[in-house]
Parts: sequence; structure tokens; C-alpha cells
Amino acid sequence: MKAGHKQVKRMTGAMRAIHWTNVFSMIVAVATGLYIAHPYYQTFMADGAVDKYVMAWNRWGHLMVAIIFDVTSVLIAYLFFFSRFEKSYKKVIPNAKNMKEFGAVVVNLVTLNRKKEFDSTHADSFNSVYFLIFHLLLGWMLFTGLQMYVQGLGSGQSSIGTWWPTMLHMVTDWTIPVSAWMVGGGPTATLMDVRIVHHITMWLIITWVAFHIYYQVWRTIFWKEGDIAIVVGGSKFVKTDK
Amino acid sequence: MNDYSYTEEKGLTMADRIEGVKKLFTSKSARVETNKGDAYYEKLFQTCQARIEELKTQTPINNRLDISDVLETQGVNRRDFMKWASAVTGMLMLPASFTPLVADAALLMNRAPVIWLELSDCAGNSEALLRSDGPKIDEIVLDIISLEFHETLQAASGHQAEKQLEDAMETFKDKYLLFVEGAVPLGMDGQFGTIGASGETFHEHLLRVSKHAAAVVAVGSCATFGGIPAAAPNPTGAVGVMDVVKGKPLINIPACPANPANMVGVILHYILTGQVPELDSLLRPKFAFGYRIHDNCERRAHFDAGEYVEEWGDEGAKNNFCLYKMGCKGPMTFNNCSIVRYNEGVNWPIGVGRGCIGCSEPDFWDKYAYERPMADAKIKAPTGGVEKTVDEFGLGLLTAAGIGIGIHAVASAVAGKKEDGGEA
Repeated sequence: MKAGHKQVKRMTGAMRAIHWTNVFSMIVAVATGLYIAHPYYQTFMADGAVDKYVMAWNRWGHLMVAIIFDVTSVLIAYLFFFSRFEKSYKKVIPNAKNMKEFGAVVVNLVTLNRKKEFDSTHADSFNSVYFLIFHLLLGWMLFTGLQMYVQGLGSGQSSIGTWWPTMLHMVTDWTIPVSAWMVGGGPTATLMDVRIVHHITMWLIITWVAFHIYYQVWRTIFWKEGDIAIVVGGSKFVKTDK
Repeated sequence: MNDYSYTEEKGLTMADRIEGVKKLFTSKSARVETNKGDAYYEKLFQTCQARIEELKTQTPINNRLDISDVLETQGVNRRDFMKWASAVTGMLMLPASFTPLVADAALLMNRAPVIWLELSDCAGNSEALLRSDGPKIDEIVLDIISLEFHETLQAASGHQAEKQLEDAMETFKDKYLLFVEGAVPLGMDGQFGTIGASGETFHEHLLRVSKHAAAVVAVGSCATFGGIPAAAPNPTGAVGVMDVVKGKPLINIPACPANPANMVGVILHYILTGQVPELDSLLRPKFAFGYRIHDNCERRAHFDAGEYVEEWGDEGAKNNFCLYKMGCKGPMTFNNCSIVRYNEGVNWPIGVGRGCIGCSEPDFWDKYAYERPMADAKIKAPTGGVEKTVDEFGLGLLTAAGIGIGIHAVASAVAGKKEDGGEA
């Protein structure tokens, strides 16, 4: 360690594992999702259908990472409130302290690090809110995705029983009118609205990721505290003379 | 897509809208119960039998055609008729023991008085019944219903036709089935569509005739969800029947045109049980709209294999590959046409090599029928500006973010250098 610095732990092993699981899931979800929405590569004409189960494998991959996303989302939702390491919800409550910190981080970003009037040792309000937005987008993807999934279970049966489609209808049918409200159109909500909104939300998430990566790299360069290392080793370094 | 101006014209209050959303939130799923248990069917059988016996004692209404004669004239023998009856029994999701009852009910179709209204549409649903090459049993059965009034088909016109309607409504008060074909234009106080010598608007006409109907059956996508008249920009403010007729048993039989098999199914079900069939959240009979086209499609294996028609007439098209990339909407359309097909099972859209356009779903013209995959669907950007495909819009969003990041990065780098320079 460089002299005059101390190491601060910022992410537990579990948090980092979830982060990289999400990265992997997202890459797979986007690659397969784009194929499902519009198959962008072709199969070889001469191969028999039995050898090329291409759409089915894409859908399989998409649904598998969706389930992994489901599980990590449940874990994150739990840690958000009950983590013994750091309860993130405390940082997103719009109280005076958090709003002041949020503003200070934004000022730091737009003044290109000329002003830095907050403690960058701990998780800050700005990033906490930004991460919350991500999880809300992800949650929306899960509900709309499961709604599209249950459309294929029209018989009311599934391999694990009738409770599963019944439950999916109960917890996801609300996405139909909400999506229709977002897309606009006639008085009756359609299933297509859910698909369109699911697809657009993917682009919102990719946009979210673009800024996320940029901002973490920017912090690393300008703050000189090794922020990018948090997600790998779990800790960053801050000057002790602060 | 469509604008919302018609909501005001329609007099939809906020409470109505909230009620509508509530209904969707709590609506029963599209789940189809194909087996309700022996006790249920035994009880239903007895009810139906009693009802059929009672109907047999009644004299036919105005239509004195005897179905046995008509069938014979058309060259349909008893065996074919019974085959048809067992297929309909299956379609209605009843046990095979109901077949004789269904056959009896078909023979008693002329006991059901039907009034048929023609509103804002192309008369395609009537055409679907009339223009079939050599009427099949479905169409024959519809021929012998007691059609008391049909604006397109009747010989009478003007005051004479109105008199006919008045008579039918009076004679069969609270007993007739009201079939409605076509959307209801609400724009300009409904003046986009008027009917008869008195200049009654379609809206008034529909409300007046539906008032004493036993049940209302909306036939075709225009009558159910507004269909093509309601497509963006919906200049006439067209809506479906269910958006204006309240407090009546209402059955939607969408599709463009509605399948005669499903119309027969609904009437037969009514004659047999005296009730409307089980409906989904969009008021469509579950026996017909409980299943997704995609799950019963003969080209489904090609979908899973990733074998798609890339352009009309290519090798894939010649090999009956999946039409998903040509914009087939089978994966998001609920209808039984992949099973019962059209014209007594002769063929259906995907069978003839073109994709499904989702004609039995709401807003199908704007949101399903664009003949491209969903990712290429044109949507209006939030500002209401130029239409973009979903992907173009998303890529635009990403580009905007990228430009923002780029500006910040360059500014940061320049500012950082200055800072370094100052320190040096």
C-alpha cells in the first residue's frame, strides 16, 4: 500500500459475487433477447432441424439467466434492508443529509472534480440512488418477462404444477395495463405493449450500464482512490491525511 | 399510436378508467379448465337436456327452414353432420357424451331470434358467412338461425326496415341475441355514422337495440376492440361495443373476420345451456381464445430450430419455414384458428404461407399487423415526434448517453491537464 493511504472495505464477497453474476446474466440476456426479438443470424439451410435448436436454445438461455436474475434480485432486495455490512436503503431515504450528499456528488461530477465536498470513503447517496434505479428497471424486466412467459402456459399447466402459472398471472397481469399506458393506444391493453416496453427497458438498462462503467472509471482516475478495485478485491484506498 | 381524445368524447370519467384497470388487475387468467369433473358434467347434461326438450315444444320462429332438408340439399349426410357435431362438442370443451345434445341444439337453432347490426366496418364478417365456396355445416347452421333483422342482407330499406326492427324488438323483447358487426364512432357526437331515415347515430342505434337484448355478441375485431376504424389516428373516435354497452351479458368474438365456427359455438352454447360461455378478461369465449396460436402452429418446430423465411418466395418459404421474421404474431395472439382453421378446416393464414397479424387482439392494426418482428415495430418516441422502430429509439437513447459521456470525458481530461499544468 502506498504510504499515507488506508484500505477501506466497500463490498463483501457476496456483493461482488452478485455483481459479476449480474454482469454475466445481463450479457447473456441481451445477446439472447435481441435474437428472440429479431433473429439476427441465420442457421445453415442444409442442416436438419434436429441439429439446430437455435431459437429454443436462445430462449432457454434467456429464461435461465432470467431465473438467475430473479434469485440475485431477491438477495439484493434482502440485503438492501437487512445487510449486516451496509444497509443501502439508509442512503436513498430523501432526508436532508442524503440530499445534501447527493447534490455534492453531482457537483463533483459536473465541476470535473474541482469541488469535492463529501466523504468518498463510504458509499454515497448518488451511487445508492443510481443502483436503486437499476434494480427497479431489473424488477420491471422480471415482471414483464414473466408475463410474456406465462402466455405460453395457456393450459394452466406447467411441469411444476398449476400453482406456478396461477401465481404468475396474479403477480404479473398488472404489467399489461401499465405497459399499455406507457405505449399509448386504444382503450384496451394489449399483450404487445408488454413486449415493446420489455424491449425498450433493455435499452434503458444498457444506457444505465454505459454511464455506470464510465463513472466508476472516471472516479478511479480523478479521485485517485482505486475505486475500480472495489468490485474485484472488495476495497478501495483513501488518503489518511484527509 | 392513437390519441386519447375520444376518451373525453366517450364521457369516460376517471372512476371508469380506475374501474377498468381494477378489472384487469383482478381479472381471471386465460386459463382453460378442460376437465371440471364428472359431477359437474352430469348436472350440466341434465340441465341441457331439460332445456332442449323445452325448446323442442316451441314452434320455430320466422325461419321455417328445416335443417335436415337444408343439409340434404347441400349434400351433407347424417354421418357428416354427426362428425361435425362431435367436433363442435370438442371445441366447446364438453365430454363426448354431449354430442347428441349438440346435434339437437343445432337442429333447434331456428328457436333463437337474432338481430344483427352493421356499424362501422367492411361487412367482412357477414361476407365470411356468405361467400364461402359451397356452404359448410357451420354456415348452414347459421343460415337457419332466426335472423330477424340484418341490415346488410335484408330486402327492406328505409322506413320499412325500421318498422321491421321495431317489430322484432317488440316481439322478442329481452329474448333476442344481438349480434353487432363494426365499431362505434363517437367523434363529432357520433355523426361519422348514422343510419336510417331518422339519421340516428350508430351509437344511439346500438344503445337502443341492445337495451332489450338477452345478450350482446360483438362479432369481428371492429365490434370488439374498435379494429381498423379505431387504428391510429382514429379520426372517427371509434371504439368497440364493450366500451359503450354496459350492464348486459357481452361476448366478444374477435378476429378479422370472426370465424363462423366460433359464432356457431357461441350460439350453440347459448341454446344448449341458456348461458354465455366462460369468458377471458377480454370477454372472449375461452373455448376459442384460451390458447395461443403459436403453441398449436404446424410451423412451430421451425421456430424452435431457428429456421425462418427471410424474404417472400425464398428457399425457407418453399420449405414452409417459420414466418416469425416476416412479422408473424402467432406468439402473442390467442385464437383457435391454428386448430379449427377457416372454412371447415380448409386452411388458415400461416397455412397459406403468410404470418399471423394478430387480428383477434386489441389494437391489432397498429401493434400487430406491421409485418415485421416486434423489435422493428414503429413506435412514437415520448415527445410524440417521428415514429421510430423500437431498436432505433433504443439506439438513439444509447447514442445520446454516449455523447453525454464523451463530452464529460473530454472536458474532464482537458480540465485534468490544466490542473496538472497549474501544479507543475
